[in-house]
Amino acid sequence: MKLIKSIIRPNKVDEVKDALTKLNISGMTVTEVRGHGRQKGHTAIYRGKEYNVSLLPKMEIEVVVPDEIVDEAIKAIIQAARTGEIGDGRVFVIPVSQSYKIRTGEQEAL
Amino acid sequence: MDVLPDRSEQTPLAAMLDAARRELTDQSTRGQGGRAAVERYAGRIDALLQRLYADAPRPAHAVAVVALGGYGRRHLCLHSDVDILLLVDGTIEADDERCLTGVLNPLWDLGLAVGHQVREIDDFVRLEPDNPEFLLALVDARPVAGDRALFDRVTTLFRRWDTHAHLLDALQQLADERHAQFNDTFYQLEPDVKDAPGGLRDLTALRTIGRITGPGLLGQAAVDRARLDEAEDFLLRVRSVLHHEAKRNQNVLSHELQETAAQTLGYAGSQPQQRVERLMGDYFRHARVVARALERARKTAPTPVGPNLVRSRDGIGFLDVQEAASRPETWIDLFQTALDLGAPATDEALTWIGQHVTNVAAEEFFPSAVRRDALLACLRPKPGLYARLSEMHDCGLLGRMFPEFQAISSRVVRDFYHKYTVDEHTLLTIRNLERLASPPTPSQARFASLLVDLPAPELLVLSLLYHDVGKWRDDDHAVESVRMAQRMLERIDLPRESRDTIEFLIRNHLRMSIVAFRRDTEDPEVVKQLAALAGTEERLKMLCLLTLVDVSAVSPDTMTPWREELLWQLYIDTYNALTLGYGDDLIEQNVPGLAGLLANRPADVSDAEISHFLAGLPKRYLQLFSEDAIYRHVRLSRDMHPDEVHVSLDRRDSVWELTVVTLDKAFLFSNLCGLLSSYGMDILRGHALTNPNGLVLDVFQFTDQDRFFELNPDARGLFLHELEDVVRGRSDVSARLRARERGALARRVPRSAPTVHADSHSSARYTIVDIIAGNTLGLLHRVSRLMSSHGCEVDLVLISTEGQKAIDVFHITKGGAKLAEEAQQALTADLQRLLEGPDEAD
Repeated sequence: MKLIKSIIRPNKVDEVKDALTKLNISGMTVTEVRGHGRQKGHTAIYRGKEYNVSLLPKMEIEVVVPDEIVDEAIKAIIQAARTGEIGDGRVFVIPVSQSYKIRTGEQEAL
Repeated sequence: MDVLPDRSEQTPLAAMLDAARRELTDQSTRGQGGRAAVERYAGRIDALLQRLYADAPRPAHAVAVVALGGYGRRHLCLHSDVDILLLVDGTIEADDERCLTGVLNPLWDLGLAVGHQVREIDDFVRLEPDNPEFLLALVDARPVAGDRALFDRVTTLFRRWDTHAHLLDALQQLADERHAQFNDTFYQLEPDVKDAPGGLRDLTALRTIGRITGPGLLGQAAVDRARLDEAEDFLLRVRSVLHHEAKRNQNVLSHELQETAAQTLGYAGSQPQQRVERLMGDYFRHARVVARALERARKTAPTPVGPNLVRSRDGIGFLDVQEAASRPETWIDLFQTALDLGAPATDEALTWIGQHVTNVAAEEFFPSAVRRDALLACLRPKPGLYARLSEMHDCGLLGRMFPEFQAISSRVVRDFYHKYTVDEHTLLTIRNLERLASPPTPSQARFASLLVDLPAPELLVLSLLYHDVGKWRDDDHAVESVRMAQRMLERIDLPRESRDTIEFLIRNHLRMSIVAFRRDTEDPEVVKQLAALAGTEERLKMLCLLTLVDVSAVSPDTMTPWREELLWQLYIDTYNALTLGYGDDLIEQNVPGLAGLLANRPADVSDAEISHFLAGLPKRYLQLFSEDAIYRHVRLSRDMHPDEVHVSLDRRDSVWELTVVTLDKAFLFSNLCGLLSSYGMDILRGHALTNPNGLVLDVFQFTDQDRFFELNPDARGLFLHELEDVVRGRSDVSARLRARERGALARRVPRSAPTVHADSHSSARYTIVDIIAGNTLGLLHRVSRLMSSHGCEVDLVLISTEGQKAIDVFHITKGGAKLAEEAQQALTADLQRLLEGPDEAD
């Protein structure tokens, strides 16, 4: 199993969610985050004063998926979140070594 | 004085007085000189005065003989002063004087101790605050003879809440001073039955408090009233004995007189000492009742705080509910006063409103523009607004005033986000707005700065109140809310421009959150569309604030710092799109709004005229001004020749608006600003526009702090004449302004570091210069003069103020093009020097 962590534009959440649901991936964690990648924020000017918007609002979507659909899921996320401009975000794939259900304490087979 | 003349020589008047005195003396010596006896004596003195007035020569003006003070209360003892007021309805003439002396001289001849005042009615237009004794004497005034209507007029002038508030203060102070003379205790071995604590004056003070703050509000039970009546009768009986025995106005119950008084009042006991002890025991018992009752009344008495409004420990209530019942349009004043004083409405008032509000129709709350404006004033965001509106809602007043709001009372709409009923969500949006007045976090402070900048924040509150009323139905609620708001706007007859703003905000109240949280805000087209929708910075600010407080009121967790940041970013980008790029977007055929403008035109303005005037102006112009204003501008632009200037100057509330149409020339904008400043006018907002034909339209909104236009009848003419001279170059504005600036140095506003920012990228046609600086007198003049002296043309200007900060955006060109890098740097450096230089220093 893999944990797929995607940092995407806030307005792309619904599209990514829909794309993942189509792959029958329904369990996910969505978090409001702020940060920057290569985009490194930008300089805004308001009423003549410049100030840096270094940490940009983004959304983080985390899903845990079986190894066999990881590629498909990554493709779906990228397709849904892409605009082609700087600031589209990143997808990280992290191996999951163990998984437990909190309610029962039962370890899930990976 | 007590030696009565021989009856055989008496005049009829003396006989009248003699009979009255004998009667009171008889009763006093039998220990019965109490309330009934002194009232009868006062009645006989009334008859004497009525006879004197009837016999006196006829006056030229109406005259009223008025009993004041103790005589007014009919507490007239044998040697009490007879206090009277002779009131004349006009300037006293010889005939009036003859009448007055015809009343007064015989009184003196009769040997009465008369305290008299002669006043003309005009004296009462402004009552003397430094004469509290006279004002207090007026509380007990009653007409005795002469013109009753004249007396009633004075009573109306006197019975005002502010006079009563002043009286109450004076009464408290006089009582404190009087009590201090007796070491603040009523346990006096030789008490003054009139002045000592617990004496007759305290009783009068108590009754006065009751009369001017509402007897019902003192919480006096019937048993208390009976005990006070008993105390009064006792004190008067003692006083009558004292006057009789001392043969003068003697009120001290001395050791010597205590024995006589005890015997006269019939106290039992074989020894004088026993009788005295019983008398004094009674005295202290009654004095205690009076002293404690006054103490309680002074602590709990409500204070008059407005017409028919009093403040008690529980909050603000009505003084007279009968009067309130007859004027429902004044109920809003109760909540306004509560807001002003930071107090709640009393439970009693709210219960009363709840019981009576169903008898009142929505229209009756706003019978006039004055009452509508009172409502709008009440809706200005300030601490306590949510609490007061909640009170109005709970007692049913809000729903009665705004029946459309009643439709969402306790309305439940089930969704994943909202945690409250629709009505409470609505009121919470207003609480969120009022909290921006003292923002809890720095991130909210930036939004608070937008609120400060709004000229009419009450329109935002009214929009919030109606933004969700359409949720009584399950369909598209924004459309339904607008429809319902239109009924209310019609009812309260709000001016067209304000209606448009409210309808715009309600219709689009979801738009900015949708764009901020669900659209790609980095796409310039998305921002441009929002800018086009808002049209003006003012509407954008209102929409942004509405979005912030609306989303925050969904649940405590909905407006996260993350969302706040998204909203703020979108606001900035849209604001920049509005203020920086608008010069490139010019009016062309088929631009939205143009067709309506042409279709609605009045008969005296032609299509061609409108089209010619608009050609080359920024599109934004159509959103900045109402159709009526645009037609006015078109008229002003007619027959324009060089050096000619067409002007209109109007006033709306405290803000003046000057519209100038002329042909462009160097230093024009600078000179117009300078002229306004030289008259001490504070420029709040404004727009300067130039079309490609060189036609200039400058609109300035300003306040006249020195009330120059108001106080000088020929000021308008003088100003407009001077303006023509300035446009024609016949008058030197700088010289005029320098004199004014010297005078204004003493009242400079606190200084903040000025900002100058020039940008040649945001617009295809203009270099844009942003100036943010302390709003000092003549700032716009100096800044624009410097631009002109650099050879720049000032083509478009947006003028605004935020508190004491001036925020001005200039769109300039040089030789018809944007400034070259070098020229831009030179101008920026000079502007920075100007704003930081000694002229701008505090």
